[in-house]
Amino acid sequence: MALLTVQDLTMHYRTKLGGVHAVDGVSFAMAEGEAIGLVGESGCGKTSVAMALLRLLPDNAQILGGEILFEGRDLVKLSEHEMRKVRWRSISMVFQAAMNSLNPVYRVGQQIIEAIQQHLSVSEREARSRVAEHYNLVGLDPKLMDRYPHEYSGGMKQRAVIAMALACSPKLIIADEPTTALDVIVQDRILRRINEVRAEFNMAMMYISHDIAVIAEVAERIGVMYAGWIVEMADTVSVFKHPAHPYTIALMSAFPSIKGDKRVLAQLPGEPPNLLAPPSGCRFHPRCPHATAECVDEAPRLEEIDKGHFVSCWHPQRRSQ
Amino acid sequence: MLRFVGGRLVQIAITFFLFLTVVFFLFQAMPGDYTKQFIMNPRIPPAAREALKVRLGLTDSVWGQYVNYVRNVFTGNLGLSFEHYPREVWDVIKERLPRTAILFLVASVMAFVWGFPLGRYIAWKRGQTLDYTITVAGVLFYTIFTPLLALMLLFVFANQLGWFRTGGFLTPRLWLTPPSSPQSIFIWLAATLAGLGTWAVLARFATRRIGHPRPRRLAQRGLVVVGVGLAGLGWWASGLGPFAWDIVWHMFLPVLAVTLIAFGGDMLLMRDSMLEVIREDYITTAKAKGLPDKVVRDRHAARTALLPLVTSFTLSIGFVVSGGIVTETMFSWKGMGLTYLNALLIQDYPMAMGCLIFTGILVLVAHLVADLLYAVLDPRIVY
Amino acid sequence: MTDRTPAQYAITPLWKMRLRLLARTSRQNWSLFWESRIGPVGLLIIGLFLLAMVAHPILISTVWEPRVYDPVMGFDRALIGRHPAPPSWSHPLGTDPIGRDVLSQLMWSARSAFALGVTAAVISVVIGTLIGAVCAYFGGVVDVVFMRLADLVMLFPFIALLMVLRSVLPLTLIRLALILGALSGLGGITIVLKSQALTVKVKPYIEAARVAGGGSWHIIRRHIIPNIMPLTFLYMMFNVTAAIFTEAVLSFFGFLDIRMSWGVMINTAQQAGYLGAFGHYWWLWAPAGAAITLLCFAFYLVGRGLDAVVNPRLRRR
Repeated sequence: MALLTVQDLTMHYRTKLGGVHAVDGVSFAMAEGEAIGLVGESGCGKTSVAMALLRLLPDNAQILGGEILFEGRDLVKLSEHEMRKVRWRSISMVFQAAMNSLNPVYRVGQQIIEAIQQHLSVSEREARSRVAEHYNLVGLDPKLMDRYPHEYSGGMKQRAVIAMALACSPKLIIADEPTTALDVIVQDRILRRINEVRAEFNMAMMYISHDIAVIAEVAERIGVMYAGWIVEMADTVSVFKHPAHPYTIALMSAFPSIKGDKRVLAQLPGEPPNLLAPPSGCRFHPRCPHATAECVDEAPRLEEIDKGHFVSCWHPQRRSQ
Repeated sequence: MLRFVGGRLVQIAITFFLFLTVVFFLFQAMPGDYTKQFIMNPRIPPAAREALKVRLGLTDSVWGQYVNYVRNVFTGNLGLSFEHYPREVWDVIKERLPRTAILFLVASVMAFVWGFPLGRYIAWKRGQTLDYTITVAGVLFYTIFTPLLALMLLFVFANQLGWFRTGGFLTPRLWLTPPSSPQSIFIWLAATLAGLGTWAVLARFATRRIGHPRPRRLAQRGLVVVGVGLAGLGWWASGLGPFAWDIVWHMFLPVLAVTLIAFGGDMLLMRDSMLEVIREDYITTAKAKGLPDKVVRDRHAARTALLPLVTSFTLSIGFVVSGGIVTETMFSWKGMGLTYLNALLIQDYPMAMGCLIFTGILVLVAHLVADLLYAVLDPRIVY
Repeated sequence: MTDRTPAQYAITPLWKMRLRLLARTSRQNWSLFWESRIGPVGLLIIGLFLLAMVAHPILISTVWEPRVYDPVMGFDRALIGRHPAPPSWSHPLGTDPIGRDVLSQLMWSARSAFALGVTAAVISVVIGTLIGAVCAYFGGVVDVVFMRLADLVMLFPFIALLMVLRSVLPLTLIRLALILGALSGLGGITIVLKSQALTVKVKPYIEAARVAGGGSWHIIRRHIIPNIMPLTFLYMMFNVTAAIFTEAVLSFFGFLDIRMSWGVMINTAQQAGYLGAFGHYWWLWAPAGAAITLLCFAFYLVGRGLDAVVNPRLRRR
């Protein structure tokens, strides 16, 4: 049974100018212990999906439809009280700005203990030793837990935040741009560490990034998002070898490669659409080189073109890179 | 830390010295210099006049007088008051300062106790009608013309309802044969208040470990009630109770006036500070950790948002003298502000200078305390 | 907008572009200001006071006989011996102890309140902006000197100090405005605006301007000052409140050489001994006190409304 099944999730932000269609009919599933990645430009709705899973959306956001089945329960329908028990105990998160996700006036260890004691009935001492364990796990000296956040370096804070996410041994960890602010070497080391820990404890992991290269390193499957839609979803190898959606192809070729033939880096014309008034039909059609009348008139559905390879496009490309 | 305090003390000394200089030359520049009243008095014989000039130090140049004055201030000699002759200025200040200090301390603490949770609450409920209503009320209290507020309070509570006295420090009729001087009773009263405050803080600390909020609150309140009861019993047993009560009775309206004004400021500041903190990422993290709303609000948001409030609280203590001018006049409360105003009006210059100098000292000390307190509350700041 | 070619942009004159940009940002700012809800309320109250101020000379020249209704010299002989008279048809807010019409005084005093508040506020922010920008840009000795000066100025209790100053030189409205403006300009405002200017100074466009060969004054004038302007404007509103309040307190105690203002009105009542009687002569203090409070309140509300525009962290979303 799948750990998480997101079915047709649709979410709007109410603004003065009207509803912003941030997430529209997103569906995907995750198995226990699986690592998937969500990729897309900023503003494509990937963070909104993550926040919807934890039900931490801003006041003006509204889940209009769809369901989020987690271990058989629909999170959309849970009461706030029940949802609080799910947060961190079952689904935890490593936030985009790890630098700022620790409260400056409390000791780092205390902030982790706080989370542990909220969900597990353990004594202060047990909680402390648990924190120390997790510090070791992410490669931090347990002595550091009695220091304040400003005494940590950027990489140390990131590790501490990851230790915090692991603290209650959740079933799923969402990592929203977990390493974007770090330099490349630290980034790589931390990603590797996360992956090892994940495999060891059989936790599912959802990576969110604008950087498909980072995602490819750690995720088993990749979902590509564009303007609130999942436009393509497949295992990592397929996405890289046989990208089918024109947007995925453009995204791939925007990255330089040191292997293979010299090629021109493709550039997408135009800009991401205004989600206040998304384009008719396929949301990608104004920028798509293969767009036809059909694309303008009718929205494509996510369909399986290969085993486990889903694409939402009227003209899926058959091209290997 | 010590180095920082040392450095600040040197800075304070320099600033204070400049402040003294400005005050001296300001009073020097005043027309109708008080010394001339003695010198020009035709009934004083010429020989005595010359002797007086020497005694008053008027034969010195302005600079000589200035040096003399600074030396005197630094040795704690503020001169003699004209009005209260032959009492020393310092002696009068010693009597008046506690009255102002108690008035403003009690009011500031009450304003904080009400303003802090209310500001926290409306920031959490932002954008709702309640938020707007309370914010507007807060602005109104904050910007109300102080004499108007005082007049309205006097009109309603003293004139119409007759609950409180219209002003003054005590009821003269009651004090015809007091068992002890009003001043010493007042000092005891102040000590009682300080004791009760400490008791309340201790009670909070002692009950911190009680897990459930309801018995905890019950225990806290019980302890506070016991403390108040004990204090009341003590006063009753001493036989001074009615006298102390008379002073408290007179203090009520001025305290209420200052509380209302300070409350508006505290609440607005807390609200704005909270709104900034709420947007921080660590608040989202706290919510994601599954902490209850109240814990996120109180332990994570309010704790950080408290910092600017503490600063403003401490700094406001420094301005009690100038702040007291209006309130104390309206309620005829003989504190530093009223003393200063009177001294200016009847040209009791040594007294007025003494009050000003004292204000300067208070403000400087308040600034230092604010810095130190900030360092205690914010781990990011290390001196 | 997006379908314009570069050539079309070139044809549009620069001033037109700037105007259009200005119109757009003011529209956005106005809607933010409007959303703050309390800002417009303040603006409305200020508008009412302006209306009263404009109406006064019109009333004097039409229906109000100047000999009776002049705010300073007027006297109603019809009520001789009965001053201060309670509100009546001829005197909607009654008369004061020396027979002058209270409503007329109230409306007339709006003028001095605005003059004082606005002058003091403008002076203070001009001084504060200039010094703040210069201190932030140059740093060093200039910075140290002005910052120490600001500390010293903030040490002084303004009201207590002005009470002393008044025996050295008579405080007229203009002098008071100048002194208040200078004091608050050199004090707290400088510090706030300097820290804002410091955050502007490290922005890339300042570096770009310097690389492009812009002189120091050019950069301060064209880049730093315009960027701290919003905050400047905000502090101006709060300063108007402070100035009006200070004037009212000082004239309430009779420390100013001003013939008529709201504070003077309450002072007149107090001098004549009518404040002790509270409710019986409410028209001698309540309207004037309410006017001071309301105008301070209004400017403060506008300030808070502007805060929502200037400070994005206070916005609703």
